[in-house]
Amino acid sequence: MIDEADLLGDGPPASPDLSHCTAATRNACKLCTPLGACLVFRGVRGALPFLHGSQGCSTYIRRYLISHFREPMDIAASNFSEDTAVFGGEKNLLAGMANVTRQYQPEMIGLATTCLSETIGEDMPALVQKCQQNIADLPPVVHVSTASYRGSHMDGFHDAVTALVSQLVTDALPHGAVNLLPGMVSTADLRHLRELAERFGLNVTMLPDYSDTLDGSTWADYEALPSGGTPVAAIRTMSGAQATLELGDSLRGNTKSAASLLETRFGVEKISLTLPVGIQATDEFIAELSRLSGRDIPADITAERGRLIDSMVDAHKIVFGKRAVVFGEADLVIGLTAFLCEIGVQPVLCVCGGKTNHFDVLLRSAVPELPGDTLIRNGADFADITHEARQLTPDLLIGNSKGYGLARELDIPLIRTGFPIHDRIGGQRVLHLGYRGAQALFDDLANTLLARKQQTSTIGYSYL
Amino acid sequence: MRKIAIYGKGGIGKSTTTQNTVAGLAEMGRKVMVVGCDPKADSTRLLLGGLAQRSVLDTLREEGEDVELGDIRSEGFCSSLCVESGGPEPGVGCAGRGIITSINMLEQLGAYDDAVGLDYVFYDVLGDVVCGGFAMPIREGKAEEIYIVCSGEMMAMYAANNICKGIVKFAKTGVVRLGGLICNSRNVDRERDLIENFAERLGTQMIHFVPRDNDVQRAEINRKTVIEWNPEAPQASEYRTLALAIEANKKLVIPKPLEIEELESILMEFGLFN
Repeated sequence: MIDEADLLGDGPPASPDLSHCTAATRNACKLCTPLGACLVFRGVRGALPFLHGSQGCSTYIRRYLISHFREPMDIAASNFSEDTAVFGGEKNLLAGMANVTRQYQPEMIGLATTCLSETIGEDMPALVQKCQQNIADLPPVVHVSTASYRGSHMDGFHDAVTALVSQLVTDALPHGAVNLLPGMVSTADLRHLRELAERFGLNVTMLPDYSDTLDGSTWADYEALPSGGTPVAAIRTMSGAQATLELGDSLRGNTKSAASLLETRFGVEKISLTLPVGIQATDEFIAELSRLSGRDIPADITAERGRLIDSMVDAHKIVFGKRAVVFGEADLVIGLTAFLCEIGVQPVLCVCGGKTNHFDVLLRSAVPELPGDTLIRNGADFADITHEARQLTPDLLIGNSKGYGLARELDIPLIRTGFPIHDRIGGQRVLHLGYRGAQALFDDLANTLLARKQQTSTIGYSYL
Repeated sequence: MRKIAIYGKGGIGKSTTTQNTVAGLAEMGRKVMVVGCDPKADSTRLLLGGLAQRSVLDTLREEGEDVELGDIRSEGFCSSLCVESGGPEPGVGCAGRGIITSINMLEQLGAYDDAVGLDYVFYDVLGDVVCGGFAMPIREGKAEEIYIVCSGEMMAMYAANNICKGIVKFAKTGVVRLGGLICNSRNVDRERDLIENFAERLGTQMIHFVPRDNDVQRAEINRKTVIEWNPEAPQASEYRTLALAIEANKKLVIPKPLEIEELESILMEFGLFN
């Protein structure tokens, strides 16, 4: 029997052991593929995400993103109904594209498919061409195939970045800038990555960049398309960059990734890096910035690193030997796992919520010091994670807020990282990357353990 | 009300056989409705005398949900009732979903209500059961009897065997049964023996052997069933015989589809593979 609560969203996991039941996903540890694509399109200046499918897809994704970023998020849809499903979505798409072109005057439309339009086999290139022929003033349209039964939000994210590069970039004169493909990280991470690159005097084209569009200041007047984002013109000339930094291990061997396309089509060097979480991965990232800019590492960055290491020494006795369960998207989980190993926390279970090819191999090669008995799960849901975690007696969980039910059941703390964070303020501003991000994560982790110690003690220690 | 679906390989003569048989039943005074389940919407042309009819889905597209039965159902030969499901143009949208949509709509509009007084409803379904939509007429008790039109040609038998697999699947959860094979002759050697043997192995019967006769084509050119075009023609009585056989048929079975080797061995036995 499957408890109904388990099938419904983010409710607390039911107590019966469901490990025998593998047919259904129970409390997925991943999100809809077009969600990732919409997030990317929001990171392009003046771009409007548009879903070819039913209205519910757009509503769900909007709600999910708004609750995390706490900013408005418009996503158009071609609003499929029964007759659209039978006759195809051409009429609706043409009408919808014409409407949003008139109402929003976007600089680009990011068109993502949905399960329904994919299943009836909509011919997207032909439909886009038809829109271009029939709608005056239509801005550039970039389309990406995002059937949600294939892949996760992270796949949708990476595929949308690839689609932007593949469909917009043209030949350009060398301009010496660096392309930076950050992957699915927080708005604070995006700002910090840009800041680091600029400290080396590098001019970066970061794609996507939703640090302003989804984390801006208050407005006097409503902006239908919030300001900020990577300009389409800057995307078009990514071919003239000296190199592309592509963050995230899941893209390392991917010959169809955005950085790979830029390399094979335009000869722009592809540099694959682990998401810079923790010291070693940040060292590698900083070393690349130094190499590309030909400049030494600024003293204040070295000092930031020094303070981080000092704090790790100070708090070693608090964090050492603790057991952690890490879950979320492949790239972030790999980064976090490396960080945990650096500070002496033992990752007992590392879970990729989507299905990432060779996740275990990627994780072990990025984090060679990972203990051999650490469990690695690919494509697991929260029922699977719960089943494993019950036996592993972890001290803490690290992941998104969908893990709260498990934290509650096991009565252990959850360190909130990644996406989504729906039960705290500032989820979008959690900093994971760079020495500064590692410092923030480290302090959060150590303080959470200290607070825990106080809460579970019968004596009211105020001196720890 | 008997609920019958006609399946068979594309081009085998399902629509022609269905309409001629329905003409036979209608001539006997039975109240029959034909539901064409083919996006080409050509399942009722002979009964309607070639009248261009608006399909259920075209009407839905043009007028929205506010459709009346009279908009989509026309009266044909001997008061038979004709409906075309219709569908999208080739290569676009989802024809399978179209079948589901239009059958649901017919039910909502009361096309099957007792007040209509139907003795028979016939679903004429395109080619193979390629997806869930085209299986709709045999799901959820919509059609209860299946007749498969085939000939002694290998691919027609292969398709018939495949359709039997679909019937087995839906028979397990529902009421659908196979009523028999209708052999629409292509003048293949020993065709009657071949199909009788094939039917027997499937656990069913050849309910009628319809000989090949150019009168069928002559009637079609005149947009009529043979029974309407020339009631005295020998082929007209073939269809009357088929109609009577279906009316009297009590042998409704869950078929036993053959393995491909066995299917080929029947062809060997009857001399097609030399």
